[in-house]
Amino acid sequence: MRKWEIARKISYIVLIIYAIISLTPFIWALLVSIAPMNYMLNGKPTGVNIMQWPPEINIFKIPPEVFGAPATISNYGQVFTVTPYARWILNTIIYAGFVTLGNLILDAMAGYAFAKLRFPGRNYIFTLLLGTLMVPFPVTIIPVYNLLVNFNLVNTYAGLIFPKVASVTGLFLMRQFYMSIPDELDEAAKVDGAGIFRRFWQIDSPVALPAFATLAIYTFMGTWNDFFWPLIVTSNKDMFTLAMGLNYFRTSYYTFWQLMMAASLLMTIPMIIIFLSFQRYFVETSTSSAVKG
Amino acid sequence: MKKIREWFAGYLFILPIIIVVGVFVIYPIFASIYYSFTNYNPLRQMEYKNTFNLQDQLEQYLLIFSMKDLNTKDLLSQFDPADFIQTQLGIKLDKDQRAIIEKYFDSKRLMEDFVNLKTNKRMSGSQFMSEYMSKYKGMFSGYTPTWVGLKNFYQMMNDPLFWKTLWNSIFFSIIVTPIQTFIALLLAVAANQKIKGIKFFKLSFYIPSITSSAAISMLFMLLYAKPGIINRFLGFIGIPPVDWLSNTSTALPAVMAMNIWTTAGYFMIVFLAGLQNIPKDLIEASELDGATGWTRFWKIIIPLVKPQISYVVTLGLIGTLQVFDQIYFLIQNQQNYTTAMYIYVNAFNYNQMGYASAIAVFFLALIMALTLIQRKVIKEESYF
Repeated sequence: MRKWEIARKISYIVLIIYAIISLTPFIWALLVSIAPMNYMLNGKPTGVNIMQWPPEINIFKIPPEVFGAPATISNYGQVFTVTPYARWILNTIIYAGFVTLGNLILDAMAGYAFAKLRFPGRNYIFTLLLGTLMVPFPVTIIPVYNLLVNFNLVNTYAGLIFPKVASVTGLFLMRQFYMSIPDELDEAAKVDGAGIFRRFWQIDSPVALPAFATLAIYTFMGTWNDFFWPLIVTSNKDMFTLAMGLNYFRTSYYTFWQLMMAASLLMTIPMIIIFLSFQRYFVETSTSSAVKG
Repeated sequence: MKKIREWFAGYLFILPIIIVVGVFVIYPIFASIYYSFTNYNPLRQMEYKNTFNLQDQLEQYLLIFSMKDLNTKDLLSQFDPADFIQTQLGIKLDKDQRAIIEKYFDSKRLMEDFVNLKTNKRMSGSQFMSEYMSKYKGMFSGYTPTWVGLKNFYQMMNDPLFWKTLWNSIFFSIIVTPIQTFIALLLAVAANQKIKGIKFFKLSFYIPSITSSAAISMLFMLLYAKPGIINRFLGFIGIPPVDWLSNTSTALPAVMAMNIWTTAGYFMIVFLAGLQNIPKDLIEASELDGATGWTRFWKIIIPLVKPQISYVVTLGLIGTLQVFDQIYFLIQNQQNYTTAMYIYVNAFNYNQMGYASAIAVFFLALIMALTLIQRKVIKEESYF
């Protein structure tokens, strides 16, 4: 028994140390985001020193102090006035929303076909699709970019959304789930005279709701956080997404740390909320994909 | 009949994803291979796509200030179509194209339209050419890159920066993947005990992996700054401050540390799920046999989470070999670029899409070879 106790103590130490390592960047970002803005005096930034240690926090004052100066939430408002942040939020919601919707429908359809329907070449096509997962993205961007240029889709929502509207990873997830539904369910529905579309939509898909939820969460988060694709497709600041817009707070002369941290945290909060609300789906996917992958 | 209906439904269901993958993954592979043998320049492509007002361009070229009393014949004597297309419309022409324009460009009709005020409209270079060429319109419908054979690949072989970036990518991958796997496993084993506050730990480990790489890069830009807190903490143990991201020898390791920090928590959840599937009595039985903590770890736990390890290592290798976002934000010196970043700058900053494609094709071949090797290794291991 005593051995177990020591093991547990060591475990606690390991976990606590790593939790500190994991959270410190966020806590620091939070502190900086509520520090008053620096201003320029004779060409030099003046005001609080956001790099100092300790950060001189005093929560007993009104308002509380960080870095020895009164804390403020005005930076969060400033983000909206110095950049088209509201527009970026809208763009990101449109981008992530439509990509998620497309994946839910198209990946599920294809996943169902590969799991439950028989047609010539099924396995070859599936292997080919899986093979494309190996292709690293730098190989495809140049031709895809040229396609977008030729169809005038640069700086458009369509250009952002179309290339991402279905994914092989999502297809794989949905296929695994449909395969785990016993064929008897389909057979029984067939005897009752249900056609293929009804079996897909009304019999099997309701059973697969957890898989839909997982796919929706993963796709939405991945697209929300995506930086690379908006970097390729958008150059007009009105078409930026949140991830793309972060660069805006950094000029070659000066970095607006307070605003940058506020903007970074703002775009992270929805992700944390989603994670907390749907935590069980996160564990489910990581297990299922590990066992089968 | 029923069978055919099922076939039909099957193809219909997979058609959308086939189109998406076909257009945005499979076609691009072949297009990249083709580009890699050409001197593809995206700026040249824009020459045919930029739009202009034809009347303005003609007025400027012919130095006309008033549209009154114009005479087609006089104008024709001043008008040189190839010269106009090159200097005024900014479309570069080669010798063959010039010769064909001399022969088949309908200058007369253009001048008549101009005099009759029919040219006051916006159009692109390719539209203009198809309008006024009497033959060989297809030759001017867009930019065709020139075939240069293996030139790009020779250039690549002799480009020290390319080899440097390739080494950086591989270095990144072989250092980061094992460390992140080990930390994740260690955390999972620690969290697999009866621990209070496990929810808090899970959340705090997971937050980095649900944060956008762009936001994370911003956070670390602040932490890695010369007066930033990482240097402060190192200062306590007597290490002098380093400008982590500007210094070529520390920039890449700094980004690697950040990458480990980002992914370890996610992989920890994968391992934890695997560990929780292991029956508790199996571990307790080994305890009774007198196995110490360390042997228990190596002999019991590692073999049982083998599927998870192979999953995490595969994902880790794929992710680290292609790392881009963090490099884009944090790396300032070309010497520290990864291959993905080098492809990007060549294509989009230096306008050398042909050369960038050659590197991309090489990169694809490399990754496919690595994947096949890895598959073989893992398959052989699973026989034990």
